[in-house]
Amino acid sequence: MSARDQILAALTRHPAPPVEPARPESRPEMPANPWSVLEERLAQNGGRLVHSHSGAWIDSVKWPCEFAELTHVYVAKNVPESSPTPPASQLSPTAHLSTLTSRGVGATAKAMRDLEPLEVTVLYADFAVAENGAVWHVPASALERTAALLAEHLIVLVPASSLVATLHHAYERIALAETRFGWFLSGPSKTADIEQSLVLGAHGPRTMQLVALES
Amino acid sequence: MGHVDRAREFVRDESRTKWHDESLWFVRAKRDDAADTVPDWEALRDEAATIKRDALSRLPDLWRQFETAATEAGAVVHWARDAEEHNQIVLDLLEERGFRRVVKSKSMLTEECGLNPFLEARGIEIIDTDLGERIVQLRNEPPSHIVMPAIHLKRSEVGKLFEKEMGAPVGLDDPDALTALARKDLRKRFIAAEAGITGVNFAVAETGSFVVVTNEGNADLGTALPSLHIACVGLEKIIPAPSDLAPFLRLLARSATGQPISAYTSHFRGPREAEDIGSPAPAMHIVIVDNGRSDLLAQPSFRDALACIRCGACLNTCPVYRRSGGHSYGTTIPGPIGSVLEPSRDPKAHAELPHACTLCGSCTNVCPVRVPLHHQLLTWRAHLAEGGHHPTRRRVAFGLAGRLFAHPRAYEILTKAGRRVARRLPTAWLDRLTSPWTEARTLPPIPARSFREQMRARARQATKGPR
Amino acid sequence: MRVALFVPCYVDQLRPQIGLATLDFLTAAGFEVDFQEEVICCGQPFLTAGETKRAAALGARFVDAFQHVDAIVTPSGSCAATLRRHLESLVAAPAAASVAAKTFELCEFITKESACPPLSRPFPHRVGLHASCHGLRELGLGTPTETRAATRIDPARELLSRIPELEITSLDRRDECCGFGGTFSVEEAAVSTRMGLDRLEDHGRGGAEIVTSTDVSCLLHLEGLSRRRTLPFEIFHIAEILAASALGHDLRASAEPR
Ligand code: SF4
Repeated sequence: MSARDQILAALTRHPAPPVEPARPESRPEMPANPWSVLEERLAQNGGRLVHSHSGAWIDSVKWPCEFAELTHVYVAKNVPESSPTPPASQLSPTAHLSTLTSRGVGATAKAMRDLEPLEVTVLYADFAVAENGAVWHVPASALERTAALLAEHLIVLVPASSLVATLHHAYERIALAETRFGWFLSGPSKTADIEQSLVLGAHGPRTMQLVALES
Repeated sequence: MGHVDRAREFVRDESRTKWHDESLWFVRAKRDDAADTVPDWEALRDEAATIKRDALSRLPDLWRQFETAATEAGAVVHWARDAEEHNQIVLDLLEERGFRRVVKSKSMLTEECGLNPFLEARGIEIIDTDLGERIVQLRNEPPSHIVMPAIHLKRSEVGKLFEKEMGAPVGLDDPDALTALARKDLRKRFIAAEAGITGVNFAVAETGSFVVVTNEGNADLGTALPSLHIACVGLEKIIPAPSDLAPFLRLLARSATGQPISAYTSHFRGPREAEDIGSPAPAMHIVIVDNGRSDLLAQPSFRDALACIRCGACLNTCPVYRRSGGHSYGTTIPGPIGSVLEPSRDPKAHAELPHACTLCGSCTNVCPVRVPLHHQLLTWRAHLAEGGHHPTRRRVAFGLAGRLFAHPRAYEILTKAGRRVARRLPTAWLDRLTSPWTEARTLPPIPARSFREQMRARARQATKGPR
Repeated sequence: MRVALFVPCYVDQLRPQIGLATLDFLTAAGFEVDFQEEVICCGQPFLTAGETKRAAALGARFVDAFQHVDAIVTPSGSCAATLRRHLESLVAAPAAASVAAKTFELCEFITKESACPPLSRPFPHRVGLHASCHGLRELGLGTPTETRAATRIDPARELLSRIPELEITSLDRRDECCGFGGTFSVEEAAVSTRMGLDRLEDHGRGGAEIVTSTDVSCLLHLEGLSRRRTLPFEIFHIAEILAASALGHDLRASAEPR
């Protein structure tokens, strides 16, 4: 008998009695001030919430240095264009984005590994979850996943209208059977493994900004 | 040496014991605050507990369903009866491909199976990428906590270790700087890795997906770059449907560290996308491991422990764990849940563990899946006594006491004589006679008359009538 | 109402005054109190040591002796908890369930019956209340810090707060275990000691002069530690404080050996 069949047989021999899951009658509803709940929870995880108008997010986020000085940026394809209002920035962001994107991106494993000195990654998430201060994101590729992890700074855009109250509501929106890889993100990579003191940037990003885009 | 001796050793260093206790109490307090933010906390615990028990009642069906769905998604499913089979499957997967460099994210299962030493002995470099795990790996010791593996170490000790292992400047003990060093060192290893091993927090039967939760992002980094992902999963990790993930994920990080959710909650389904031309096609292998779990399922008194989601809350709240340190348990999983699980593998070796507990019950109250930990520990004591695993002196003492308490006359005579002797003895003698109770305690003055004697005196007075 | 008083062996032998205080307080509360000499032990130490058969034998004696009374009251929260939670599974006799259900810790019983005699004499002391784990988590006397279920009243705190001039001091950890734990206290003496000392330090920070509890075993442990280190605590069972306030019992006189 194969290991598989032996294990399955062993599990069948002494079954635990059937149990009906205790489903609550209702789920917590959207709090009165959902974005401030999200902001507080995200902050607990070391992340920062930014509100922005869809076309102007570049101006709303904090960049690690002058935007023009960034050299290694990964911007996901589905990130909406942004046109910051001059004179706050004299940049022509769309042009920048496309050049920066092409500079950061490669199609081979080598290129993925070359993402190493990546300064900023910008992603576009499906929706946000108020209670946990998290967003649901499905990377377009393993490359995008890697870019999200190797960047020093992570910026995640999410439509403000997409907010849900809890993870119960979240899973109603997720088609897990069709999702090769998807993740909830909340805050930067972190550890408290040395004497419980919180360090941001364990392996991945040191900062994480979530941008709620009002259309 | 058992728990008693190792705990005594740990407690001897008073300031370290207090520091350890405070560190963990801090986490427990954060858990309390996090629970306060969830209005339906107790109902959520009920739901999570019953989802797990439902799953435990139909494991074969759920795993078959998982196997089909995962295979459909392109993963290869393996079954391992025990630790040896598990380790061999992993080794074969690596050797077939000639892979020698492996990164691994946190997995108590691979710890339980002794995967690291097994692979290392066969010339494979396996690097734990969770910072705490990396620290204990470099120190060549087991984790002392299931969520915070290096919670027993002070920053200066980590500094010394990194001085030796990563060329840290002498005296460096700033957690930020130390983490930065480890990050740099591990980044190289991530990039060089040929295979990534992860544990599994939840396997979803319906979709063949599984979820891995980390704060560092190490499971993701470790599986996004290499072409081979091996996921090792214990039989107890299955839940029926995607929507079942919600209650667990609302509870897990809050119970574990007091966070609203971990930084990365990753859902895998099949191998990652192929992006390389000319490099090996991405592959995902899932190893489902029994290693004693089906035996535990067969024990009605203890099978609930299979509901455990390894949040570590019972360790953080345990007043004994906090003061005796994780290594005092001498097991892969320490603390209350370890003391329930480990005797089922080897009752003789771990007979002390169910007694390393005051039965205060705090663990049972924090457990997000309502494992009745302290009642299971109590039940273990009965099983161990019956199995003859208790010290003879305890059995003899309780045998005598039991008989005495069932014979009030004998009790009366003996205790009266005992008290008379005790009242005459010098304190030092009495202390010696009643050690170890009096090892650190001084007996109160021994009363001349017991309650029963005084009651009789009162009755005599009453019959004489008021004076 | 006829109430049976259960006085376990260690109260009988080491702290008879607690038994007397309980008896007198119950009488003052208007109950007819019976004392059954024949029952010495509820079986708890045996149960927690894994000696289930012996625990069951003692449990059977308990059921036999008390099945016909209206209620059984004891100054030991952990004995009450053992009986309430485990008696039914230990003893096959049909009366076991009802005996388990009608066994109460003293403060629990007084509060349940709303039968507290006037606590009129002032008790001008700062008192630290040690929450016994078994009372708290097994009998449900009060709300443990871990749980988010509906709050439950803590009868002991409730009664103490009625006593004039008595100040209940605060604790950093209001329901941490003291480390007694039955055989644990001797088998794991080192950890048990550390736990107990940590509790006393916490009570010290809160400014307690007196430490009290519904459980005698916790108190014997704490008192032993306090005595060895000559710490400035006096340790009294809650029955003694209640009897002092209600009846004018002299605490310190009764604490001395007779
Ligand atoms: S037994 Fe419960 S509290 Fe302990 S680790 Fe498992 S899930 Fe967490």
